[in-house]
Amino acid sequence: MLQSLSRPTAHSRRILLGYLLVAPLLLWLAGTILYPLLSAVLLSLQDIKIIGTPGAWVGTDNYARALADSRFWQALGRSGLWVLANGVLQTVAAFATALILNQRFPGQKMARVWIILSWIVPTVVVVIIWRWLLSSSGVVNYLLVSLGLLDGPMGFFSTRNSAAMSVVAINAWRWFPFMAVMVLAGLQNIPRELYEAAAVDGAAAVQMFFRITLPLLQPVLFVLGLVGTLLSFNVFDIIWLLTGGGPSGATTTLPVLIYETAFTRYRLSQAAAISVLSGLLLMIFAILFIRFMSPREEDA
Amino acid sequence: MTGPLRTRVPLLLGVAALLLVVVAPFYYVIVSSFKTPQEIISPVPSLFPQSWTLQHYAKLLQASNFPTYLANSLLVAAGTMLICMVISTLAAYGLYRMQLPGREFLFRVILVTYAFPGVLLLIPLYGMMSQVGLIDRLWALIIVNVTFTAPFAVWMLRAFFTSIPVEIEEAATLDGAGWLQILARIVLPLALPGIASVAIFAFITSWTEYMFASVLIVSEAARTVPVGLAGIIGQYQVDWGLLLAGATVTMLPVILLFSFVGRSFVEGLTAGAVK
Repeated sequence: MLQSLSRPTAHSRRILLGYLLVAPLLLWLAGTILYPLLSAVLLSLQDIKIIGTPGAWVGTDNYARALADSRFWQALGRSGLWVLANGVLQTVAAFATALILNQRFPGQKMARVWIILSWIVPTVVVVIIWRWLLSSSGVVNYLLVSLGLLDGPMGFFSTRNSAAMSVVAINAWRWFPFMAVMVLAGLQNIPRELYEAAAVDGAAAVQMFFRITLPLLQPVLFVLGLVGTLLSFNVFDIIWLLTGGGPSGATTTLPVLIYETAFTRYRLSQAAAISVLSGLLLMIFAILFIRFMSPREEDA
Repeated sequence: MTGPLRTRVPLLLGVAALLLVVVAPFYYVIVSSFKTPQEIISPVPSLFPQSWTLQHYAKLLQASNFPTYLANSLLVAAGTMLICMVISTLAAYGLYRMQLPGREFLFRVILVTYAFPGVLLLIPLYGMMSQVGLIDRLWALIIVNVTFTAPFAVWMLRAFFTSIPVEIEEAATLDGAGWLQILARIVLPLALPGIASVAIFAFITSWTEYMFASVLIVSEAARTVPVGLAGIIGQYQVDWGLLLAGATVTMLPVILLFSFVGRSFVEGLTAGAVK
């Protein structure tokens, strides 16, 4: 591989230098991810309410309390539903979008870049936009009433179901362009000749989609499925700012529960225990996902 | 050139639907921030202001702490951008130009950290920052933001760095150039679009970050824009004009930056997924 650098000393010096160049990043990540992770485990085994005060070791009490708390199980269920609903909604919207952007039309180049506008804008802007559009004097209510779909303006965030559905829809609106851009990149990597050959053989568009597009997109879909799930589990700010986890807990997913437990109920240790439990669950999910969903051809 | 009408019409309908779903909300918010308060809450929405006013912007910039939030956010975003650029460029150069053994493993570690749920680190990082006295300091936010931007930045840089032919570097080595010279004179200029998109990514991420900023910052004077704006949402009796103006000003820097390097940004974003 490295014929031009065949002298072993030059080679090993270069490798050492390479590690030195990567070192700052790795040290930074060790200090801000690895160390905090370990300290989360320690924190979860103690009883600490305010950081800096000495805490007593309580063993697995915090875990037992978390597991006995119905709020934890409800939040877990909501997180599962949240990830699933977002996954379905975003995948469908992203696929449709990517298929559209993969065609030629005037302004297509611009559309491919600006499509991710809703993803790059701060969450708080997304929140203001949708709170306003969905407010009782907002344009969505106006349209629904004028079309005769509603008798009068409704409060989208005031009932449990409509709040949960609104938050999912808004989060999907925020993320689907990002996924669409990824799918589009995958689509463009598929050789055109495959479609042309299939067209010669008289294949219909639907057949092409299932026989060519989907199988060849597998590596991209794998990354999106895994990373997308973890990222959407992680979503906190959009939920918190739209509903604060309400009404009556209807939108309290695990991240919201962690935040609330730590910073509005001041039970840091218990929040740490919930964090550790969530982390374990995600790890198990990731391992299972990689084991069973990996595309057959390794992308090296 | 144009395909048969049968496929053209659904395509154009799809494009129109996309425009409506993605762009219309932004248009409506920006335009409405120039409407009078009466027009904003009018039961019949208008697509264009009947009379333009800058009163919400005047209030935002004069009667609220928004300018302070802006200054704080700019500092945090600039700091994150600089540090992230330096350490991710060095790491990407080491990983992709030095043929490091174990590179795939490191690359996976980096990918995992990108997808790592930040909320799991919220409490321990809060503890860490309070132990080292960084609570309420903008530095705390810069440190956290670099953690969440640098891994993805390396991911984005991968495609840009691996596309530079090895022969150029080898020729320079034979001419007696050291790695620093090669990096500065050859690799960096060629990878510039990638580095620019990494910078934009770091800026946008820190400009956007809410969760850590809401926990690690306590005082009004140190708040960033997202936390400050979120405070305004709760603080006043829903002053839509003020909030719409705030939203518009908050997205302005992102839109400006993006209009310069949006192309290479999207390229870098997608490169990691397909390569």
